[in-house]
Amino acid sequence: MFKQGETIELKTNVQTFQGVFIKEEKDFVVLKLGNGYNIGVSKRTIKEQKSIAKPKPVKEEVKKEKQDKKLPSITILHTGGTIASKVDYSTGAVIAKFTESDILKLFPEIKELANIKSELVRNMQSEMMRFAHYNILAKAIKKEAEKGADGIIITHGTDTLHNTSAALSFAVENLGIPVMLVGSQRSSDRGSSDSAINLLAATQFIVNSDFAGVAICMHENPNDDTCLILPACKTRKMHTSRRDAFRPINALPIARVFVEKKKIDFISEHDKKDKKKKIELKLFNEKLKVGLVASHVQMFASELLAYKDFDGLVIELLGIGHMPTMKVDEFTAENDKILLAIQELAKKMPVVVAPLPIYGRVNMNVYTPGKQLIEAGVIGNYTDMTPETAFIKLAWLLSNYKDKKEIAELFEKNLHGEISDRSEKEFFLI
Amino acid sequence: MTSINYDELGFKCGIEIHQQLEGHKLFCHCPTEIRKGEPDFEVVRRLRASAGEEGRVDQAALHEQKKQKYFVYQGYNDITCDVELDEEPPHPINKEALAAALQVALMTNCQIVDELQVMRKTVIDGSNTSGFQRTMLIGINGFIEVDGRKISIDGVFLEEEACQIIERTKDYDVYNLSRMGIPLIEIATGPDITTPEEAKEVAAKIGMILRSTGACKRGIGTIRQDVNISIKGLNRVEIKGFQDYKKIPKALDIEIKRHLDIIKKGKKIEKEVRKLEPDFTTSFQRPMPGGHRMYPETDIPPIVPDMKDVKVVKTIEEKVDEIVTDFKLSKDLAVEIVKQDIDFLKIVRDLAKLQPKFIADIIINAPKEIKKRFKKDINVLEHLEVLEKANKNNIPTSAVFEILTEIAQGQKPDFNKYQGMSEAELEQEVIRVIQNNPDAPINALMGMLMAQHRGKIDGKKAMEFLELHKK
Repeated sequence: MFKQGETIELKTNVQTFQGVFIKEEKDFVVLKLGNGYNIGVSKRTIKEQKSIAKPKPVKEEVKKEKQDKKLPSITILHTGGTIASKVDYSTGAVIAKFTESDILKLFPEIKELANIKSELVRNMQSEMMRFAHYNILAKAIKKEAEKGADGIIITHGTDTLHNTSAALSFAVENLGIPVMLVGSQRSSDRGSSDSAINLLAATQFIVNSDFAGVAICMHENPNDDTCLILPACKTRKMHTSRRDAFRPINALPIARVFVEKKKIDFISEHDKKDKKKKIELKLFNEKLKVGLVASHVQMFASELLAYKDFDGLVIELLGIGHMPTMKVDEFTAENDKILLAIQELAKKMPVVVAPLPIYGRVNMNVYTPGKQLIEAGVIGNYTDMTPETAFIKLAWLLSNYKDKKEIAELFEKNLHGEISDRSEKEFFLI
Repeated sequence: MTSINYDELGFKCGIEIHQQLEGHKLFCHCPTEIRKGEPDFEVVRRLRASAGEEGRVDQAALHEQKKQKYFVYQGYNDITCDVELDEEPPHPINKEALAAALQVALMTNCQIVDELQVMRKTVIDGSNTSGFQRTMLIGINGFIEVDGRKISIDGVFLEEEACQIIERTKDYDVYNLSRMGIPLIEIATGPDITTPEEAKEVAAKIGMILRSTGACKRGIGTIRQDVNISIKGLNRVEIKGFQDYKKIPKALDIEIKRHLDIIKKGKKIEKEVRKLEPDFTTSFQRPMPGGHRMYPETDIPPIVPDMKDVKVVKTIEEKVDEIVTDFKLSKDLAVEIVKQDIDFLKIVRDLAKLQPKFIADIIINAPKEIKKRFKKDINVLEHLEVLEKANKNNIPTSAVFEILTEIAQGQKPDFNKYQGMSEAELEQEVIRVIQNNPDAPINALMGMLMAQHRGKIDGKKAMEFLELHKK
């Protein structure tokens, strides 16, 4: 039909429309009128249509930014969840922006803090990610660190941001520089986007602290004021839409960044920067099949047995560590089958557990159903990982270790801050 | 009052009317209550012009960003939610508000847009937490008639109300969140208005059409007029902030004089938005926004309007005319009846033996009279049983006012007291009064009768008997 951006005229029986062609839908032609509004014109009513003017080409100037040798250098690896975008008001299209020049034009404050290198790794929603993307990122981190980057910022969609942060913690060993994952909960096309504050906070944190390791940097609360630096393996997206959706789980934040005051307060212990450290990669097996299943009421053994050809399984347990594994009356015969299914799976693969209540630690020794699970061979007693971290950790262990016993031992052992040995009073509902 | 010849100047004027709707907010379920006073919480935000402002530069957006202010939003837990806070995407559109906007579009003879597309209009002065206002075009190419002239209606829009400004300081602005998101119907006329007086008439007519839907909020600030004016060949100026359309002519006179002064000095009239001041002058507010700062609200799918339940209702004007014609009432009474949204036809039907004029007079004027004389309030519609008794002839009509007064004063009326005399009793009483006062003229006799038996006798009947027996 027409090209987006083309000025067209549509005639119906009663009126004539002139505007910019936006798109064609099933029953409507959408055009942007001179007053800026889009309307859909019913195709049935259109008697005549013609092109008035071709779309105007958009000129983009690319400016090479000067580097300031005295400033630290930061590489931004974009994976999607755009930090910056541009609205083309002639068509209403939102165009994601990734170049150094775009970033600096939008966030001129960064220029005074660091030299920026910007690289588009992928442009995808985080819910589309697979283990392959963790490997791509891990390799990119190694490459940039070896080139001398003082820090790395990864822009990321928020849905699985906390999975990626955990994955990179495991995959990139011996990391001597900060790697900050930054997302935004309000798209960057709007004036109210949280992306600018999150990006600025991450930049300030890289430049003005001695932190090394992987961490998440997001809003602390609804104010555009402070951001939290959150532990890579102990953070979870706990709200569908709020800016402060990312909360530490069974842990404290690492630090708080006061963006306007340009101040950093550390809250927890952290690894110190050491650029001499040599990164070792322990990547993910991209073909691995790991399941994640939640325990629930009216469960069936067949749900679990669907995973019998997988390499590993994470079960989210009810309460402190239970599943429907006991026949207690005439209605609960299926529960016996569930226990048998778990026994069968645990013989074939590592079956690990994580707490469905999210907060707190699994302890399967408190009640009989928990003890049944231990006897069945499930792994993960006394751990307090989020289901996502448990999932990533199991996948990483399966990717890098062959011995089933070793995998079981390592799963229950803290490697990168994913398991806390103490449950502090302050850990709940931060 | 004016010495300006608007015809000669090539004066052109169009107005935009913004009317708040009752119910719940346009994109969430918060009520449309505007609250003042101590907020339950405050949220601090910063807005940035997105990259969209580069390239095709939007003057208004840049003007705000230069100020680099931050914003404090004050909210209330029970009437503002995450949607106003820009922490949650919009809920589906408020169907009642959409129906009202469609109704207004029909009543202003617009073509309804086939498929509505909600747009984001970039606003970075902080008055919207999101950095944009959600707005959609509902109807186009309409017209209204004002004193026999056709005034074109360029568009009827449905949009979100912005936050209310509480305080402006050098570093930050404070906004009240409770107003944000209230559904707002905007009606924009074409530049067809040729005099300030006509601008007033057009505003009055549109206001009347809006109120006729019954969906509008009432009171100060619930309707606002923006007026665009220009002198032929010169730049357009928009004046914002009219809350009373009656102020339009005087303000426009003063504004045009300002234009003429500028021209006299050989200077240029700037294309800008000005604010109406209490003394009817205007002051600079910001440069005129460009027309290209809109892009689609992708969180809300396009809406195909359902016209099934959208009806053109009678306007207030039409209802008044109808009552005047059908019931032979004065226009003033008819206006009051319509204004108070009284189902007069039903009441007249229920009280078939009473005169419509009498009913209207009791419903509208009796409360005013009682208020004036006794400083008491009464809503006659809550005491229609009094009129029903008169209708059934249980009490004389002359007792109705008396009884309502008693009710207003908190007394329990004793209807028996007012039970009318039978005609035979009344005739006897008339004969007795004539005999006792043989020399008194007929009017004096009537006075005596009424003084003695106020509320119990039918004055008309009494006069008939007086005329019969007073030879």
